[in-house]
Amino acid sequence: MTGLGNTRLSSFADLERMREELFSRRAPSTKSVHVCTGPGCAAKGSPKLYELFCAAVKQAGADVEVQAKAVGCHGLCEYGPIVLIQPGNIFYQRVEEPDVAEIFRETVLGGRVVERLLYENPATGEKADTVDKIPFYKAQKRIALAYNGLIDPTSIEDYIVAGGYTALPKVLNGMAPEEIITEVERSGLRGRGGGGFPTARKWRSCREAEGFPKYVICNGDEGDPGAFMDRAIMEGNPHSVIEGMLIGAYAIGSEQGYIYVRNEYPLSVERLNEAIEQAKDLGLLGKNILGSSFSFDIRINRGGGAFVCGESTALMASLEGRPGEPRAKYIHTVESGLRGKPTNLNNVETWANIPQIIKHGGEWFAGIGTEKSKGTKVFSLVGNVVNTGLVEVPMGITLRRIIDEIGGGIPDGKRFKAVQTGGPSGGCIPTEHLDARVDFDELTKLGSMMGSGGMIVMDEDTCMVKVAKYFTDFLQKESCGKCTPCREGLSQMLYILDRITDGEGQVGDIEELEILADLLEGTALCALGKTAANPVISTIRYFRDEYDAHILDRHCPAKECRGLFRYEIDPEACKSCGICLKNCPADAITGDKKVPYVINQEKCTLCGTCWEKCPFTAVLKV
Amino acid sequence: MHALRNVLGKMPLHCGVKGIMKGKPMPTVTIDGYKVEVEKDATVLDAAKKAGIWIPTLCYHPAVSCDASCRLCMVELDRGDWRQLITSCNYPVRRDIVVYVSSERAQRARRGVMELLLARAPESQELRALAERMGVKETRYPNVTESQRNCILCGLCVRVCEEIIGQSAIAFAGRGAERTVAVPFRQPSDDCIGCGACAAVCPVGTIKVRIHQEQQEVEISPFKSRAKLVVCEKCGAPIISTPVSEQVLGKIKNMSSEEFRQRIRLCPKCRKSQTAGRLEAAMVYKKE
Repeated sequence: MTGLGNTRLSSFADLERMREELFSRRAPSTKSVHVCTGPGCAAKGSPKLYELFCAAVKQAGADVEVQAKAVGCHGLCEYGPIVLIQPGNIFYQRVEEPDVAEIFRETVLGGRVVERLLYENPATGEKADTVDKIPFYKAQKRIALAYNGLIDPTSIEDYIVAGGYTALPKVLNGMAPEEIITEVERSGLRGRGGGGFPTARKWRSCREAEGFPKYVICNGDEGDPGAFMDRAIMEGNPHSVIEGMLIGAYAIGSEQGYIYVRNEYPLSVERLNEAIEQAKDLGLLGKNILGSSFSFDIRINRGGGAFVCGESTALMASLEGRPGEPRAKYIHTVESGLRGKPTNLNNVETWANIPQIIKHGGEWFAGIGTEKSKGTKVFSLVGNVVNTGLVEVPMGITLRRIIDEIGGGIPDGKRFKAVQTGGPSGGCIPTEHLDARVDFDELTKLGSMMGSGGMIVMDEDTCMVKVAKYFTDFLQKESCGKCTPCREGLSQMLYILDRITDGEGQVGDIEELEILADLLEGTALCALGKTAANPVISTIRYFRDEYDAHILDRHCPAKECRGLFRYEIDPEACKSCGICLKNCPADAITGDKKVPYVINQEKCTLCGTCWEKCPFTAVLKV
Repeated sequence: MHALRNVLGKMPLHCGVKGIMKGKPMPTVTIDGYKVEVEKDATVLDAAKKAGIWIPTLCYHPAVSCDASCRLCMVELDRGDWRQLITSCNYPVRRDIVVYVSSERAQRARRGVMELLLARAPESQELRALAERMGVKETRYPNVTESQRNCILCGLCVRVCEEIIGQSAIAFAGRGAERTVAVPFRQPSDDCIGCGACAAVCPVGTIKVRIHQEQQEVEISPFKSRAKLVVCEKCGAPIISTPVSEQVLGKIKNMSSEEFRQRIRLCPKCRKSQTAGRLEAAMVYKKE
């Protein structure tokens, strides 16, 4: 921290004074280089870029007012590492180490734009010199991710200057707990972890529940494959989560909070720990916050990587030091949760929305979205899509806009087949429903769900039976094994799916899967089991013909299931180069110069080497 | 208060007197059309028992806490515009509710669960008998989960060992389809005192107590834990496992009667014959 030392703020006025002082210290002429150190960019070497920029700043001397910042995820991970130059909002993509000197010299010192590092719209060839001109960002609306990419997540001062910790004093200085809950109710905020339960109703039940102490928990156990929404918030703006929890705790009447983060997110743990320490030093956490009578503390607990621990009761069992297994929720956790006390659990994104709602008012938040789903939702957009990354969109946007406009469509000229929303227990939505709106109830109606925000796009080469098998396999491995339907039922489903993708499916297998799915939904103990059949059911619903092709014709239409398609050489395209023959491990290819080569189907082991090696794409899957 | 009781006592029962006497209202549970009153927070299973309606259970036992993990006791709860499947063993009755035990959906759910269990533990006679009583003759499923032979993982053994015996010698190990009931590190364990409570409570007869006469040891199968047996000083018949006997004696250590100590070293049969012998001797003495 560069600033004001460890002055403990003992009143609301103290906090405002600090904010003003920080403002005045930052000359508007100060230039800053924002290097994204989110998971995507970091994997591509952005921490090194940050170091180089820091060195460049040092070298430039004191007379140049410039600072380098490592910031949280910008979202457009596909084009990382991303560097943003302020003022000017200049967006550089795929920056490499040798580019640092040029950016510093040209843009930071000279004020000129480095053309070749700008984002180029692949459709129009147009260069975008500022963030707003990039189609990926145009349709987005950022509330939970508002400060991501702007502030240094390790600096509480940055958060305060950007307008953080304004909701907390507003709440402590004149809002009754019931008023806060009413404000959240007005916003229409629903839980972002997947269930979509109205947040205000949960808070009110917990507030009204008998018993003390009461606990608030932040669920940061993000375990969906390919999802990194909560991670981006925890690593990019940890104070927003802490501020949200402070407000929630005050409204509910709790003095102790827990953040449960999976241990696979070491940076999240580090950032949150750092943020909690900073907030404690300033008196924003601990006893008598900002001189008020409200006291609140937060502890971090690390999860051991069990997917089921994202389920609220399993998470609480894990927090208590017991095996992470769910229990029946006939008595709600708001009444009897952690250690049998009233407990309010919300997801990271839900908490991060709270300060913004208090700051701008519930009406403002409710103005965004659909009738029953308000505000925005963060999605991690992955799979067969041009712009993979993190997006925050207003509720009610169509899936088509997310995939085509923000995501930039499907790469390599392939056709879209389905989008899987809601994580492993979500469902696959086909082309004919692409105009469906992103809305809790609408996605559920389509047989999928909002979930915590995973969005996997699949192109025409994806076998939907295999997709269903992948997710069933994931859930079968992640099931805690406590209840019979989930443990045994998923194993039975996987057994049938294995059979189908191996080409040994039997007539009636689809019906068997449907019976098992119905049983799981009705009788499983927790939400993991109850929704575990969604991938199977939704693919049967929309892609039944693919199941039929596997079972009846022993053919995989997407040509993904080994053994359910053949390799053949297109005689027109074959140039008789002999590469396939040389590489074939089974000696199944015959041919001679000037004569197209042929695969002997009886000898072929379907390994696919010829298909990979052919330089003329003459080997076809049929 | 006495006066009030006298008055109330003369009133006919159907006036809800019981509720008033206990000081709290008694919610009504309507099961398949039969109405029963139960204490607040009693379970649907309690209510069904009171109404004389049978609901199959496996992981439920009144002596230990409720886990609701086997999912065999599913019934349908009427929620007005929709019906929800619930486990009757742990659903608390807090207001007047309507449930269906023999509705088509509830039966299908229970039978579905039973078929999955049968696939897992095909050799258990106890499970087969229960299945038959429920109208399930065969299972459509093959045996695909073999983490532990013939164990349905209901967890009664684990709970009885922890909650009643206080040993926690066995616990669940592994996750999902790999889940098993195991002793620490799957090695024979000293924590097991060979009391056999787990075998007594096992609803499918998978856990067994084996007596090894030659070694004078008791083994709890399938955990392979063994304990020395106290054998009858007179006839050599096994009486009890040594750790259990020590625990029991530890609780009554103030009792120093030498005669008592001697007598507990005999098996019940020899103890009886010893008593009979003494009685006989006493009678002979009296006659003389």
